[in-house]
Amino acid sequence: MPKNQYISPSDAFASGSLTFDKIPLCQYKKTLAQEKKLYTKADFMRIYRDMRIIREFETMLNDIKTKSAYNGVEYNNPGPAHLSIGQEASAVGQAYCLDINDFTFGSHRSHGEILAKGLSSIEKLTETELYDIMQEFLGGNILRVVEGKQEKQGDVKELAVDFLLYGALAEIFARTTGFNKGLGGSMHAFFIPFGIFPNNAIVGGAAPVALGAALYKRSNHKKGIVIANSGDGALGRGPVLEALNMASMDQIRKLWGMDGKYEDGGMPILFNVFNNFYGMGGQTRGETMGFDIAARLGAGFSPDMLHAEKVNGYDPLAVIDATQRKKELLLKGEGPAMLEVATYRVSGHSPSDSSTYRSEEEIEEWKAACPIAAYRKKLVEGGIATEEEFDAIEADIVKRITKICRMSIDEEISPRMDLDSQPDIISSIMFSNQSVPSMDPDREAEVLIPKEENPRVKQLAGKARYAFDEKGDMLPKIKQFGLRDGIFEAILDKFYEDPTLIAYGEDNRDWGGAFAVYRGLTEAIPYHRFFNSPISEAAIVGSAVGYAMAGGRAIVELMYADFIGCAGDEIFNQLSKWQSMSAGILKMPVVVRVSVGSKYGAQHSQDWTALTAHIPGLKVCFPATPYDAKGLMCAALNGTDPVIFFESQRIYDIGEQFHEGGVPVGSYEIPFGEPDVKRVGTDVTILTIGAVLYRGLAAAQKLQEQYGISAEVIDARSIVPFNYEKVLESVKKTGRIIIVGDACDRNSVMRDMASNIAEMAFDYLDAPPVVFGSRNWITPAYEFEKYFFPQADGIIDVISQKILPIPGHVSTVNESEL
Amino acid sequence: MANPVIMPRQGQSVEACIITAWHKKVGDAVSEGELLFSYETDKSAFDEKSPVSGTILAILALDGDVVPCLDTVCVIGQTGEDISAFTGDPAVEAKEEDAVPVSPTAVSALAQTPVHSVRQEGDTLRISPRAKALALQTGVDMTRVAATGPHGRIIQRDIDAALDSGYHSTVADVEAYLAGGYKGDTAVTVAKGTALEVMETQPDNTVYVSGTDFGLYEEAPMSGVRKAISRSMCASLTEMAQLTLNASFDATSVMEYRKHLKENAGILGLGKITLNDMVLYAVSRTLLGHPYINANLIEDTFRLYHHANIGLAVDTDRGLLVPTLFGADTMTLSQIAEASKDAAERARSGRLSPDEMSGGSFTVTNLGSLGIESFTPVINPPQTAILGVCTITNRLRADGSVYPAMGLSLTFDHRAVDGAPAAKFLSELCTNLENFQLLLAK
Repeated sequence: MPKNQYISPSDAFASGSLTFDKIPLCQYKKTLAQEKKLYTKADFMRIYRDMRIIREFETMLNDIKTKSAYNGVEYNNPGPAHLSIGQEASAVGQAYCLDINDFTFGSHRSHGEILAKGLSSIEKLTETELYDIMQEFLGGNILRVVEGKQEKQGDVKELAVDFLLYGALAEIFARTTGFNKGLGGSMHAFFIPFGIFPNNAIVGGAAPVALGAALYKRSNHKKGIVIANSGDGALGRGPVLEALNMASMDQIRKLWGMDGKYEDGGMPILFNVFNNFYGMGGQTRGETMGFDIAARLGAGFSPDMLHAEKVNGYDPLAVIDATQRKKELLLKGEGPAMLEVATYRVSGHSPSDSSTYRSEEEIEEWKAACPIAAYRKKLVEGGIATEEEFDAIEADIVKRITKICRMSIDEEISPRMDLDSQPDIISSIMFSNQSVPSMDPDREAEVLIPKEENPRVKQLAGKARYAFDEKGDMLPKIKQFGLRDGIFEAILDKFYEDPTLIAYGEDNRDWGGAFAVYRGLTEAIPYHRFFNSPISEAAIVGSAVGYAMAGGRAIVELMYADFIGCAGDEIFNQLSKWQSMSAGILKMPVVVRVSVGSKYGAQHSQDWTALTAHIPGLKVCFPATPYDAKGLMCAALNGTDPVIFFESQRIYDIGEQFHEGGVPVGSYEIPFGEPDVKRVGTDVTILTIGAVLYRGLAAAQKLQEQYGISAEVIDARSIVPFNYEKVLESVKKTGRIIIVGDACDRNSVMRDMASNIAEMAFDYLDAPPVVFGSRNWITPAYEFEKYFFPQADGIIDVISQKILPIPGHVSTVNESEL
Repeated sequence: MANPVIMPRQGQSVEACIITAWHKKVGDAVSEGELLFSYETDKSAFDEKSPVSGTILAILALDGDVVPCLDTVCVIGQTGEDISAFTGDPAVEAKEEDAVPVSPTAVSALAQTPVHSVRQEGDTLRISPRAKALALQTGVDMTRVAATGPHGRIIQRDIDAALDSGYHSTVADVEAYLAGGYKGDTAVTVAKGTALEVMETQPDNTVYVSGTDFGLYEEAPMSGVRKAISRSMCASLTEMAQLTLNASFDATSVMEYRKHLKENAGILGLGKITLNDMVLYAVSRTLLGHPYINANLIEDTFRLYHHANIGLAVDTDRGLLVPTLFGADTMTLSQIAEASKDAAERARSGRLSPDEMSGGSFTVTNLGSLGIESFTPVINPPQTAILGVCTITNRLRADGSVYPAMGLSLTFDHRAVDGAPAAKFLSELCTNLENFQLLLAK
């Protein structure tokens, strides 16, 4: 809500009518004569070869899936194969226009796109560049398999084609010599050195991720464009619509930049829809959607209608023509753009598809229109090449694919991961666990003012960084350096250190974040590094994933933890999985800040740590003191792993009561996974998660004063990872433990911890580990919260009822058995 | 009805015993009173006789196994009887063909089977793992402890309370159990509780080779006696304020008296009295005038003994053992000599009962025969002092004449006794020894 953009009633109520421009439909009309001026014979023939390679590759997979054999090579592949037979011209046409600075993101049906982009990159790279890439990738593991197995020795491009086909197929067959050591598989194969970014098994999943890669290019002034490929079915997905909207937001062209210094124009992204008319079996036109023509959607997102256009995807030259024009628009700063490429898959959704949803006649008519055969006929009739030449290319391709197939199933040269001898091999790549303070140390960070001139920094200089004065009395809250200040300092420092760092979310700029953590950033950080996003949680988190994939570091904020559900796929399937699905090739330095509320009822008060802790691949923490919050934020921002950073709205203003000497001004790290003993005791351990720490401490004090029971209070701080050592040490001493948190009890992190503690400290326990969380209800109104969230007195009641009956204690809460 | 044979508890402080030898094997017939197995505590060795006649159906602990007291070690009954209630494995039935020696590994697996199925259905003893461990460690009979935990569960504080009130499982309890245990189902309250614990097994001795022959060594597990000594000595040195006073006395008188006894051995039959016996005699007579040296200190309370119960430190193959000469002050020199000889012999052969090795009010230890001139004996807790007897050396009197001087080293607990009273005791002891014949007349 920039103040300089004034909203007046007269504008708001202005009368008139909204008009739209025309959306071109399949208007490519170039004649062969014109085309001959644009393409050499070699170009024409390469386009044919690339299409034919894709066709043969997919045919081979189809044969393996349906007949367990291809051209005499027998194999059984239990994994998925979503084939794109029929869509070859669309893929090759697009890739023809791209180089390695242009990034493509795909779907579950993207073998063709990968191969097309790979073949195009091989064509454009020099032999030296190519060989270096192959030699460097995974320590030359793939190169070693394929090198020396070519008929024409010394031809690096020929070698590179084998490398590409083999790397992709070995990946599909889950071999360690695949592009991602077999951890990605058919639906997630990719090869970053050629600008081929991850495909995505979640329909439409790649759209917000691709937006993030475009954001990286836009905010870091990088070359090239980004293409988000999806099918027509993906247009029904919220994250895709969110990405279309967020890519189009006005501020990119109206507000981003620094005094005209960094005016790079719109988002360099092309939303490319390969419209094959079916989302699995659902017919998008005529059944499951109402757009009639997919390109119509462009009209809904921006006044320039995303330059939307529909093109004939069965004509590779028409696709080249359209893609080339879109790319030029994007490079001029007029993005984003949208292209509908009409195409058709004659193969089923998967080999098990019996095509109950379409007629034989329909399939036969499309087969007859085969883009490869049509293209060949056109070139033969146009006198560009003879049938014999094409036959030779075809024979060569069949031979090559047969060779690649044979190599990919050879257990000797294409082994699978050995989980018997290396049982930890997957667990070891779930996190990258690196410390990289700046993702681009060579570049200066773009900021608006020197750090010391920041008004918030000046204000914080006057605050007490420790909550107590010399006499041990607590200072007034207003004088204390609070938890929100700790988080702010860590982030501000990182903005000056890492030029790639960006932060965004709802109401981050101007407002300073709903809970004032970001107050002071608006003055310091330019728009393209710090901005307000639309209310699009999926696009917010999804774009951060793509931003990190492309090489940057991002902090995104979801305001309330309750909104995690709106970014469900992006957190649970994208953010968490790409490091390991890439076999450690990708890094994911993304911090997702979520705030746990109270007072705001059922949809704004939930501690959802358990949801995120359940998903392998996410680090999760929930600090409760300024010292811990700053230290953990520093650790998260120096790290290369995705972190879900839980904060509590109850304690944003709390001062530092534990770390003597107060919160350091400079940077320091609290290691992930280490709980902290906040009070030492001998009789019972109270393990707290998040803001409930202070209720745990109050209970401990009362236990001591009223009953002479000495409680040890441990603050979990981190949830994933979590080192149980200190907790076990404590339990061995006290023999008793209660685990307290604001999350609903059922299936909570507390339950998980209790079960682990029972396993690991069973012989030392004098009572079962007891969990005291919130009720398994909706969060009621503030006035009833004491019945819902665990309170200090309730902690004592539960200890007395379930662990250590306290003589003379009268319970206020009846903590019944489950 | 098959009968379990349990590991008896010998003395209040014994937690577990080591089986040293089985005299029967599985399948053997055994009659009541026949030798079944031998075992030792950390301080003594015992033989266990069969309480019933029958056939050995199962042996649940092997030679060298450490068996918690009151745990079942074997089952005797009639061939073919179901013994799953004792082995915890319903599949193990003592069929005809099973009545053959079980291979060691098979037996060991049985021994390690968690034996909670010993309990009958509906007969649940609720106790926290921590409380159970404490009960087993301290010998508290957990079946008789009042539970104050949730759901009637025994928790740590209940065992603590039982310990504070001095309630332990006694030999009498065990005997009552043994007497009644074999008669029928009413049995085994004690065994039910204790049988929950999985037995510990001793690791084998292993030789490790580390490249050269010089790296060869052997790992030897600490014996039970060694562990007991280790615990006791550590506790002694960490919990007390010990210091040692050294003195010597003119041994002319005692040596002459001993010579005299030796010469007249045939007549009096008293030839076996040693110098150490004389020191013991003098100590027994001197102690009674020094109540805080003839004492135990337990937390803040002194136990001031009315008699001199003198511990006699005996070096044995198993380690240091200290049998007690109860009421040494009431014995004649000859009785002391006889009693100490008997105690030392039984200590060396491992035949002392644990109760014989407690209840001392003072200890005498002798390194004189090994030529030690002075040393720092370590007090045997909860006693307050210990006397070390040293060798005899020749010294010069002021007039230049030579005399035999015998050294005495008194270690005392400064928490219990100050320096001057301790020195007074030592000096009085020296005077008494120098005038031994007068002392005898007293």
